[in-house]
Amino acid sequence: MDSAVLDFLAATIRIATPLMLAAMGGIISERAGVFAVGLEGMMLAGAFGAAAGTFLTGSTAIGIASSIGCGALVGLTVAVVAVRFRADQMVTGLAANALVAGLTSFLLRGVIGHGRTPVIHTALLDPWPVPGLSAIPVIGSLLFQQPPLTYLAFTATVPLYWFLVNSHAGLLLRAAGENPAAAYSVGANPAKIRTVATIAGAAITGLGGAVLVLQQVGTFSDGMTGGRGFLALAAIIVGRWMPFGTMAACLVFGAAEAMHLWVQVLGLPVSSYIVQMLPYLLALAVLAAWGRSVVMPAAIGVAYGDPDRS
Amino acid sequence: MIGTSQRRCKTTWCSWAFVALAVAITLAASSSSAADYKAALLLPGSINDQSWNADGYAGLTKIKELGFETAYTENVDAADHVDAMRDYARRGFNIIIGHSGRFLTAEERVGAEFPNVQFITAAGSAGFGKNVSSIDFNNRHFACLIGYLAAKMSKTGKIGGVYGLEGLPTTIDHVGSFRICAKKARPNIQVTVLYISDMEDAASAKEAAFSLIAAGADVVAGQLNAAQTGLIQAAKEKNVFVTGRSYGQTAISPENVLTNIIEKWPEMYAAAAEDVKAGKLSGAFRVYGLDTPDATGAALGYLPDVPYNKAVPASVIAELDDVKQQIASGAIKIEPTREDARGGR
Repeated sequence: MDSAVLDFLAATIRIATPLMLAAMGGIISERAGVFAVGLEGMMLAGAFGAAAGTFLTGSTAIGIASSIGCGALVGLTVAVVAVRFRADQMVTGLAANALVAGLTSFLLRGVIGHGRTPVIHTALLDPWPVPGLSAIPVIGSLLFQQPPLTYLAFTATVPLYWFLVNSHAGLLLRAAGENPAAAYSVGANPAKIRTVATIAGAAITGLGGAVLVLQQVGTFSDGMTGGRGFLALAAIIVGRWMPFGTMAACLVFGAAEAMHLWVQVLGLPVSSYIVQMLPYLLALAVLAAWGRSVVMPAAIGVAYGDPDRS
Repeated sequence: MIGTSQRRCKTTWCSWAFVALAVAITLAASSSSAADYKAALLLPGSINDQSWNADGYAGLTKIKELGFETAYTENVDAADHVDAMRDYARRGFNIIIGHSGRFLTAEERVGAEFPNVQFITAAGSAGFGKNVSSIDFNNRHFACLIGYLAAKMSKTGKIGGVYGLEGLPTTIDHVGSFRICAKKARPNIQVTVLYISDMEDAASAKEAAFSLIAAGADVVAGQLNAAQTGLIQAAKEKNVFVTGRSYGQTAISPENVLTNIIEKWPEMYAAAAEDVKAGKLSGAFRVYGLDTPDATGAALGYLPDVPYNKAVPASVIAELDDVKQQIASGAIKIEPTREDARGGR
């Protein structure tokens, strides 16, 4: 295979990895009936958690754990407001994004910088070559010499698919998103399912932020997710709320982003502003073409309180 | 019923009066303790970026040393430019600095409303009226040196640069001069320029650098904010040369950073602040460069007092010094066009 093609594919995988983790988390939340508009904030919280945890303890393992925890905390906030108090899910998600943007900036300066704006650097995670497989020519270096969170992003789709489609718990989770009253009638507690799903999804989304910090740039800067959470949200819709489809959508978005750079590298006579729009234009086109025919979880966005409580 | 509601009204009235009193006392207290001169800085990003915004903050610190009371706001979005400026102007600030050419339009607008306040756009491109000025280091001069250095240090004959804000006058100056002087150093050099949409997004800058390196570039330059770190990280991982914007970036990868454009915003801001103290407002566009020896606006620096990485041969340094002199004397004139600053090859 041509090395330019390999480089392009490697870039696609790198760009898609944080999107994939964010989107997998979003699927869990949306399937349970809670819009994942807060993905951007959960991701940013995860990035902050990864940077702060690693910087303060020197351990990337603690950094990863902390990114999961910070993501989950944002999930908990969204769950309390949107599920327990039945606030509008769109507004709650957007508010969570704004809250996290401000809070991470504040904590960076207040807690880590003691009033100043600190510069923090963290070590990057080394690639973990898979014994045997990494020696395969071409594909080996592309697929089997990746850092750990990249493997996680790709392989997480399989258990998630199995969970959603084949497990009893997954069935109940989908029921909470399709018809919570029916789920309640068979003894499940839709409000509880939604709460747990939102928190668990947010924890996984937080890992998407950890990828940016621990596998890509090794530092935290304000708003560093730069809209990736919203791109992940679009990928979920394009991928029809299923793990494999969403993974494919993330890879397509990653490829479009990589393409934007390569069009410039190859010197094609197109304005960079036009090229930069490509991934978003693609997302819009796909949404316009498929959006309507897709069946989104029927009860998504519809508040469902715990009948025993109210 | 009526009595109760009246009493409630009175209570509300009382509490509002109390709040107003409290505010008045606070205001009086703060204004009596305030310095005679106040300067505010608006930044497009965050001051920990080891790059553009950090430079601006260093400039404000210098102004503070001159006896000004100072304040700053980070991460000011385009939609908030005007409001943020008006707010500082109403609160009696004498100098309001927008630390990016992006603030120029808002400064022009708000400047007309507050004729006694000095508005300054860093890296702006024009002055307006009597109180809206722009100052900048000469992008042409220093980007030229970087282009020359990059071309001389390349073994593959291919170099690249990653930039943002395509089409802005300062960007055209910077990127165009980088390309022109690289060609001056080596006529057959291949220069590839990438524009990215977000000067603060380090992950996407890193990808941009990777794609340049994959296409054969072995020296990567750039002029980004927080995203500059992404360039340095990419160069470190792929072991190619890179140029940065602060000594802190040398520290990230001492082997790979050739030099940094160290911008002297403290020097430039201090000069402007002294003028305001002397009662002089300015509506001019001032550019500091190699041809203004008292204040050059910027300098190349690897570490304080060390201009270049030790990998740069003495012969190249001698050539660079020669180029510097010719720029200073006017023997070399760099006049970049939009075409020189184009994205791609």
